[in-house]
Amino acid sequence: MSAGAKILIVGFSFAMIVVSFLIGIWAKKKADTAQAFFGGTALFGPFTVGLSTMSAVASAFAIVGIPGIIYATGNPMSFWMLSSAAFGMAYIILGKKVRAMAELGPISSLGDISDLRFQKSRYIKAVMSLVLFLGCIAYLAAQIKGVSVMFAHLLGWNFYVTGFLIFGVLIAYMIIGGEAGGIMTQAFQGLVMAVAGIIIIIGFFVVTGGFGNVLEAVAKAGEVTGGGVTKKMSADFLNAWGVLPGQVSMVYMLVPILGTVGQPQVLTRMYALKNPRDMPKLGLWAALSHAVVGFLAIVMGFGALYLVATGKIAPLAKADTAAAVFADHLGIWGQLLFYATVLAAAMSSASMFLSLSAGIISRDLPAAFGLKAVDGPTQIKRFRVTMGVLGVIAVALALTNDSMVAILGTFGWGTLMTATFPVFVVGLLWKRASKEGVATGLSIALVLNVICFVLVQNKFKFPGAIPWYFNVIVFSIVATVVVSLFTSGAAGKNLDRAVEKVIDL
Amino acid sequence: MERKQTAMMLAIALAWLAVLILGWNGAWLIAMVLSVFLMLGHMVLGATHNGKLDAGFLAYPLLTWTALWVASFLLSAYYAEAFRGKVPDFTILGFHPSFAWTIITYWIGGIASLSVGLYAMRDRWLSEADWETFKSDIAAIKAQGGQA
Repeated sequence: MSAGAKILIVGFSFAMIVVSFLIGIWAKKKADTAQAFFGGTALFGPFTVGLSTMSAVASAFAIVGIPGIIYATGNPMSFWMLSSAAFGMAYIILGKKVRAMAELGPISSLGDISDLRFQKSRYIKAVMSLVLFLGCIAYLAAQIKGVSVMFAHLLGWNFYVTGFLIFGVLIAYMIIGGEAGGIMTQAFQGLVMAVAGIIIIIGFFVVTGGFGNVLEAVAKAGEVTGGGVTKKMSADFLNAWGVLPGQVSMVYMLVPILGTVGQPQVLTRMYALKNPRDMPKLGLWAALSHAVVGFLAIVMGFGALYLVATGKIAPLAKADTAAAVFADHLGIWGQLLFYATVLAAAMSSASMFLSLSAGIISRDLPAAFGLKAVDGPTQIKRFRVTMGVLGVIAVALALTNDSMVAILGTFGWGTLMTATFPVFVVGLLWKRASKEGVATGLSIALVLNVICFVLVQNKFKFPGAIPWYFNVIVFSIVATVVVSLFTSGAAGKNLDRAVEKVIDL
Repeated sequence: MERKQTAMMLAIALAWLAVLILGWNGAWLIAMVLSVFLMLGHMVLGATHNGKLDAGFLAYPLLTWTALWVASFLLSAYYAEAFRGKVPDFTILGFHPSFAWTIITYWIGGIASLSVGLYAMRDRWLSEADWETFKSDIAAIKAQGGQA
């Protein structure tokens, strides 16, 4: 990469970090209550919340990792990235219910909704918070590690300095602006991702001439060898299922589509919306911006395949370099926009998961363990201290402990689903979802997450090539429903009247 | 009303289990089609207001989406099998005929039905009157000393 390109990337990235910081400071004005600070509750319009939701969902892995998976295995992962309809589905399923819960009492976190629905069950709040924390900290560590490695390598900077610079600024603006600041900076970062995505997609068509040319090149390439690496290609590579078993396509379709409603970055944004009747508009903004970013990941994977199939580059030694290699081929502007998109994706997801983790540690878990409640300003003070300490520890561990990041990588999207489906999806759609049922479902989720984690570390093969988390999701949901049929805590006749109105809405 | 809700939730739990077992046994295409109905079940419960689902909302976006996605998976499977091991003799918008349906019906069709549909039918999903009634009901419960 040329020195000019590096200067441009540093300049653009620095500008984006500074703008994010300024937005975070500006947002402090909005974060004047505990609810606004922790949850941005009922503060924002559909455009801001839509972009914020999309950018928090699309992590750096979507921009860097997924093109690599498409390069390596073909199209199964495309189902995941083309799941833009998931936002509309999520709002149809839970949008009005979650937003309506914010009318029942002060809502600052998902734990508060759980309190209202399950009559302050401390067990449910504690187990849900623990499982959520596992998923959040895994995402956070992955964003920190991935972006620090990439930018340190790109710019030739010290790895630790790079990591602490990028995420130090992020921690600072999150401490100042809270979740209200987080939502606004994520909206800005989402806008950067969408605009950069459109330009790179146009670049794909200019470089390849379109999908027809990619298919033709890949279909005719056969085995390509170069640089000591051989890549086997065929037309089957670019059919809907690629070269993986069909079960993988099934899971990569169902888990992101239905799983979106169980992601905290989607659920918390439902109550950040000022007017619930704007939720359909929010769904449109989220879907359209996600469509751009999802398609971006696909074209980068296809672009790398095209370059290899036409002999313009040697087969990749590491598939996860596919996106960067294709960006390099687009020239300076392609590189600039690619790295800006990766940085925006990582910062938006990291800020969301840092805020959520800090909220769990400083608010939800102490309440679940029966510690005395404190007033709003004290909560905010504790949250800020926790955010700072947790942020610094997360950055330090992510940068110094490779094995920890790899181990945490086991948890993620599926883990978050196992924590939220029993409480929110079953709990807010079904009046008979009982305290005992949800507690059982969550307990099973926690135990199975840990057991599967051990099994994954020991290279255990799950039946039918189905990912472990899919099994856990199903067992926790089924257990929640079955136990609820025979119990009645906070359900049926014991359901709070106001919650009943929410479920009826 | 509560019985219907319970029956639907039981059907959802069974559908989850069936999708998993079908997946274990390699019957993934049937599982994919069943997944569409699993998701439809969730959406029907979410969109139901006071135990009733608006017929217009059921038709569009819900059933329109269902038809598009079932068609998507079946067409993808058909063309993947038809051209297995060979170069397809035609493309759709430049895509492999199997993958084209992921683009047209799954991705664009999904947005056009669920996202655009929710926006187009927003008053049937949550009308101003229903929201105001809900808020006044909650205010009344609070005034009577209810938990909320």
